[in-house]
Amino acid sequence: MIDTFHDMQAKLEATPHLLRLGRLFSETVLVQVGDDEIYLTFENGHLTQVTEGPSRKTPWRFALRTDADALTQFWQLLPAPGFHDIFGLLKIGRGNIDGDILCLVKNLRFFKEFMALPRAARKDAA
Amino acid sequence: MSIEPIIGRYLTVTVEGAPRRIYFEEAGQGRPVLCLHTAGADTRQWRHLMNDAGITAANRMIAFDLPWHGKSLPPEGFETEEYLLTTKAYMETVLAVIDGLGLERPVLAGCSMGGRIALQFAALHPDKFSGFIAIEASDFQPAWYDIDWFHRPDAHGGEMGAALVSANISPFAPNAERWNTLWMFMQSGPGVFRGDLSFYTKDDSLIARLGDIDTGKTPVHLIVGAYDLTCTPEDSKRTADAIKGATLAVMDELGHFPMSEHPDGFQPFFVDALARMPAREAK
Repeated sequence: MIDTFHDMQAKLEATPHLLRLGRLFSETVLVQVGDDEIYLTFENGHLTQVTEGPSRKTPWRFALRTDADALTQFWQLLPAPGFHDIFGLLKIGRGNIDGDILCLVKNLRFFKEFMALPRAARKDAA
Repeated sequence: MSIEPIIGRYLTVTVEGAPRRIYFEEAGQGRPVLCLHTAGADTRQWRHLMNDAGITAANRMIAFDLPWHGKSLPPEGFETEEYLLTTKAYMETVLAVIDGLGLERPVLAGCSMGGRIALQFAALHPDKFSGFIAIEASDFQPAWYDIDWFHRPDAHGGEMGAALVSANISPFAPNAERWNTLWMFMQSGPGVFRGDLSFYTKDDSLIARLGDIDTGKTPVHLIVGAYDLTCTPEDSKRTADAIKGATLAVMDELGHFPMSEHPDGFQPFFVDALARMPAREAK
């Protein structure tokens, strides 16, 4: 799973419109996949660090918690209903979001498109 | 070069004792079909169906922008007013447009909050319409988000609203139409999406009225997309089950804005819905 996030880091750097959308986003986000914790540190829209947890010392602004199977389905090019959006994961009981949700909402397009980057990668590979 | 058959004009009516200058579009001739847009958007959501010659050959398609939306200005004095849509004001506006345009018992087709108000009309004023097409409509849904997110001085409500409602668009939607759909939310005036959602997520008065709907006199057909997180197929089925004689179609590959996000995918469902409505009454 950590490899996927490193791939997303590279993909983000190759996606100019996302870097522009995220230019004011400098926060650490926790993505919890099952029992695995992954801390994503963004600086001005760039993903500067991908760090595996667990860590009690790393402050984060908001967290997206889901499971590996749900995330795999989320990353399909044509996900099933509910798996097509991070809020869909919440709606079908396969995810949670907590922390500073307003911060997420202010940067929602950036974060949702960042999280969906593996879909674009699959499209490119197809 | 191409010029579309849609024609736009303005109509001034009185709502809540004050004038409202309302922008409306129409195309086609025959049975009148009045189309209501969703929260936070405008008539552009209907443009594909209004450009469909197969539909407009026998149907006069009409759509209008609610005050505060699209090209319909807010009422005078809006600068000190908190916009909060109500069922009463919404219904009064629809009736004023029908009277102003001289429409005789149109079919009423509404999406999302437009579908909600269509069902309110089915219960309260069925005599004004010949039938109801309620799209992405249900009895009631509380908000799964904080509506105040969309009207605050430190962030762009339109951009946040668009990012949120993108959760309701199907991955099968063509990319261009996905973004055309979202653009309307991005353009929405400050506080308008919030004011629409206030009505949509807080007024549950329809629940108790569903049993009053007589589909023997005015048919009710519901249509819902599987990718709609706001009004799920379960929500629409619950609602249809509570209306004796109502019919329901579930669209596997569509979301909350079907006529706008995926026009080709929605068209057969809308044509089917129109076929379920009464033919134009002979004069």
